Order: sequence, then structure tokens, then C-alpha cells
Amino acid sequence: MVVIPDSCFVIPSSFDIRASSFIGLMETRYRAFSISRILAITLNTLTELTRLRVFYVLLVFALLLIGSSIFMAQFSFQQEFQILKDVSLGAISIFTSLLAIVATARLLPQDIEDRTVYTILAKPVPRFEYVLGKITGVLLLLAISTLVMSAAFLAVLYLREQAVIHATLRQMVGAPPEQLADALREIRSSALNIDIFPGIIIIYLKACLLAALTLFVSTFATTNIFTIVVMVFIYFIGHLQATAREYWLQEHSSGLLTRVFLAIVALLFPDLQAFNLVDDIVAGTAISLALFIKTALLGIFYTTMYTLLAAFVFYGKEL
Amino acid sequence: MTDSPRRLVTPESGGGGGRAEASPAVAVQRLTKIFPVPLHPARGIVAVKDLNLRIEAGEVFGLLGPNGSGKSTTLKMILGLVSPTRGRTEIFGRDSRLVESREAVGFLPENPYFYKYLSGEETLRFFGRLCGLRGARLKERINELLELVGLTRARKRRLGTYSKGMLQRIGLAQALIHDPRLVVLDEPTAGVDPAGSREIRDLILDLKRRGITVLLSSHLLAQAQEICDRVGILADGVLVREGHLRELIAIENQTELVIADASPQLVSEIESVINRSNAKLIERRKSTTTLERLFLEATKNDKRMTKSE
Repeated sequence: MVVIPDSCFVIPSSFDIRASSFIGLMETRYRAFSISRILAITLNTLTELTRLRVFYVLLVFALLLIGSSIFMAQFSFQQEFQILKDVSLGAISIFTSLLAIVATARLLPQDIEDRTVYTILAKPVPRFEYVLGKITGVLLLLAISTLVMSAAFLAVLYLREQAVIHATLRQMVGAPPEQLADALREIRSSALNIDIFPGIIIIYLKACLLAALTLFVSTFATTNIFTIVVMVFIYFIGHLQATAREYWLQEHSSGLLTRVFLAIVALLFPDLQAFNLVDDIVAGTAISLALFIKTALLGIFYTTMYTLLAAFVFYGKEL
Repeated sequence: MTDSPRRLVTPESGGGGGRAEASPAVAVQRLTKIFPVPLHPARGIVAVKDLNLRIEAGEVFGLLGPNGSGKSTTLKMILGLVSPTRGRTEIFGRDSRLVESREAVGFLPENPYFYKYLSGEETLRFFGRLCGLRGARLKERINELLELVGLTRARKRRLGTYSKGMLQRIGLAQALIHDPRLVVLDEPTAGVDPAGSREIRDLILDLKRRGITVLLSSHLLAQAQEICDRVGILADGVLVREGHLRELIAIENQTELVIADASPQLVSEIESVINRSNAKLIERRKSTTTLERLFLEATKNDKRMTKSE
């Protein structure tokens, strides 16, 4: 005879007692805006992205590129430092931009496809907080990546500077102290100049802008590939549009319609060339405080605007 | 809409640990959802039409229907994930569109696919934090729920390595993390083997025992029959039947007797009594077990043998 147990799944007898005592503790008042909820989503997004292999591949590529720039330099130390800065800052800029687009493009569509978004939004989590948590997770990831790449770049620059100083000291044995001091000053000034730091901050803000824009595009895109392709287009248009606009205005001096069209283009596609301060840094041209603040504010404005737009579109989205 | 009798909620029968309320757990009024067809704004696909529903606190309600009948869309509208074209839904008297209405709800979607890079414990911690839990309270709750769903030993394993049944159980645990008064389960046993399915059934019955209202959708009718107090049947977005299960499936003019150890003489005597009366004997057969029970018993014995070997 087949004997059927009442339940093949054993529920611990102690559970009810503890659960019922827990009920009183569980009464938490709902807050319309909660930093801890956003932080939970931020940290989860960061965990998700750091556990993706693509993140490490990008870092390795960036580090390889910085390393290889050492061997490319077989010129005078001025040229060597110039190439090192040019290649490294260029690599940091490209890799943070790429990371911003690739990492952000998958966040919302993946959650929707996997239905994870249902479980999150079925909790008392406003949609705005969900979007904000996602973007801050990406911005945190970009900050860590930029810091790691910048640290590696500065370390390489410092090591090369020390190597050149030692070589110069060896070559100039017996030279007058003033001449030696001049040579060392020249080496130091061509290696590390203070403009590198605002330059890196602007690179980071450009990546933030691209991440926020990618998030916005992904709110109405149906696939990751679509988002990435659109963003690649926007990336190139964003870099070219300022030059194109100047050329257009010079050649076809400006009817009202042209100006309106160009204004719309400028509004939709951020002027990414404005964030390109690498050339100035490499050339040794000082970045004025006014230029830095203006560019930084532009980056923060665009990032905020695109995040708000993403939240707005996501708010009305049927899941 | 069938006007179902009000239940008195007692500590034994439920009420969420003494939190009985006048408002029903779920109230749905004239709910309609029409999905627009791209490029044809005048046309639309009617997913749900004029749905009225009232689920009292403490009961297990089954929303039944074939695929595409509007079950999931209804659940999503109740949870505020999809906005209705017309009508309104409330959870314990609060409009579903308000985020705070979700304080009282736990949801397990159909075929959930959580973050596979997180372990079972990390998953519950994440969802707990979203509900405002932290510190020792959260830790205690995670331990309780992992024990409840039988995943204590797998707590450190990543969800990518979990079986379908385990995913469903961790999904149920996350739905319960903030001790909700209403649990919404969309096809909770879809794709789960009979043993896993029975585990989930037992968990649902335990929730009912603790006074938690359960709203589940299913097209597995035998299982719904085992656990639901009331059911509603949806067809093409319209609620075609609704009421207490026993009343709905009872055949008014028939009676079943199940007799153990009856001798052939006794059975003959009963038959002759029936024949002498106006009643009619429709069927006489040996009682059988269900295929599910047979399966569970057989696989359980196999496991025991494998262990002893």
C-alpha cells in the first residue's frame, strides 16, 4: 500500500513563533524617497557590473595600452612624455566612454527581459529611485575605472620621469649645479603638469554624460545592440557636430531655419568635442579655471538632464 | 461579480497576526486593459475586460485560465506594474498605483530569473534592503526564510547554479522578506517537478495558516483545486466564473461514499438498498491513488535506496 506523508516538505515548527514575533518589528513606515533603497540598487548594479568579464577586459586593454606607450617612445624625453600622455589620456577617454555605453546599455533591458524588474518594482520602490540607483551604480563603476587607469598612468609617468632623471644625472656628472638644476626642472615640468587632473575629471564627466544618455536611449530601445549602435552614432555625431556647425554657418550664412535645425541638433547631441581637453594638456597649454568649470558644469547638466529624461520615460513605461 | 460572504478573521484562521482590516486584501473594479497596436491607434488588443474582483484577507484565491487569458496582465495591474486603460485596483484599501500600496505585497513572477551572480543569501539581503530592512533584523529574517524554503545549505551558492525548483523557492522567500499581508504568485509551479511543486503547495498552505492572503494564477487545475478557497476563471480577458471552489465544483444531485475494508456482501447489500430506492448507482470502482502521489512515493524510495547504497 502506498503511504502518503501529510507533507514531504518539512516546515520548521519554530518558524511560526519567530515569524509572529517578527511581525511587530516589520512595521516600517514608507518613505517617499529613501537613500538606503537607492544605495541598495547602486551597490547591486556595481556588483553586477564588476562581476561581468567585459569590465576586466577593458581594464586590461587600457593597462596594456598605457604599458605599450612606454616602448613606443624612442625619442627625446619631451616627446616621450608627450606621447605617453597623449596615448594614455586618449585610452582612458575611449575606454571609459566604451565602458559607459556597453555597461549601461544592458542594465534596464536585461532586468525587463529577466523579469527581475517586476520583483524590484513590486516592492515599495519608486521607479525614479530604481533608475537613479542604476545610473549611480554605473557612475561609481566609471569612477573606479577612471581612478584605476589614472593611477596606472600616473605611476608609469612617474617611473619614466625618475628613469630620465637618473639617466640625466649620470650623463651630467661634473656639470655645473645650475645647469643640472635647469635640466631637472625641465624634465619635471614636461612630465607631470597639474592640468592632467582637471583633464581626467573632464574625461570622467564625459563618460557620465554618455552613461546617462545610454540609459535614456535604453528606456525605449528593444535590444542592447540597438542601444549600442545608436550610442556609437551619437558618439561620432557628438564629436563632429561642433565642427560641422561652424563650417555650415560659415558657408551658408544662416537663415532662421538653418539656425533652428542646428540648435535642435545641438540639443539632441551633446557637443562631445567640448570635453576633449587632452590635446591642450599634451601640448602643455594650461586649462583655465573658467574653461574647466564651464565644461564640468556642462557635463553635470547633460548627465542630470538625460537621467531625468530616462526616469520620465521609464515612469510611463508598460512593463 | 459574485458577492462572496465576508469571513470572520480569527487568530486561528488568519488575519496576519492580528492585523485584520475592514478593507479587502484586493479590490478590483471594472478593470480593463487594452494594449495598443502599433501603427493602428484605433485598434487594440483587449487583454482584460470589465473585471470585478474582491479577495478577502486570509483567503487563497486562484485566478485560472488558459494561456493568454489575461491572468498575468491582471496581476500586473493589481501590483501597479501595468496601468489599466479603465477601472481601478486597490490593495488593502490603497490604490495600486501608489508605491506605498506595495508595502503589503510580495510578488513572485512567472519563471523568475533573478540576478544569477548573487548567492541566495545576497539575493534576500538585496530585496530586504529595498524594503527598508537592515542590520540584525535583516540577518534574522534571511535566516528564517532560508530555513523556511529549505535553502540554508545552498545560501552561499550563486543563483546561476540553482535548479528551477530552488529558484522558485528563493523567489518565494524574497516575496516574503518584508512579511507581506498579501502574496501574489504568477504560475508558482510552472516548470517545477512534482516534488518541487508539492513543496511550493505546502508553503502556500503554510502561508494561509499564518493568515497571509494568497492570490495565485495557474493553469494547473488539480493543484489549484487542492489549495484555493475561491477561484475565478478568466477566458479572453473576461471573468466567466467566480466563487467558492466547493460550491463551483459540487454536483448537487450526486454523493460519494468511500468505504474501507468493506466485504463483498456489504457492498452488495448497499447496492440492493440503492436499487430499491429512487436513487441510481452511477459508478462503482476501486479507490486509486493519484499519479502524483505514486511518483512522489516511488522517487522518495529510490532516494532512500541510493543513500543506503
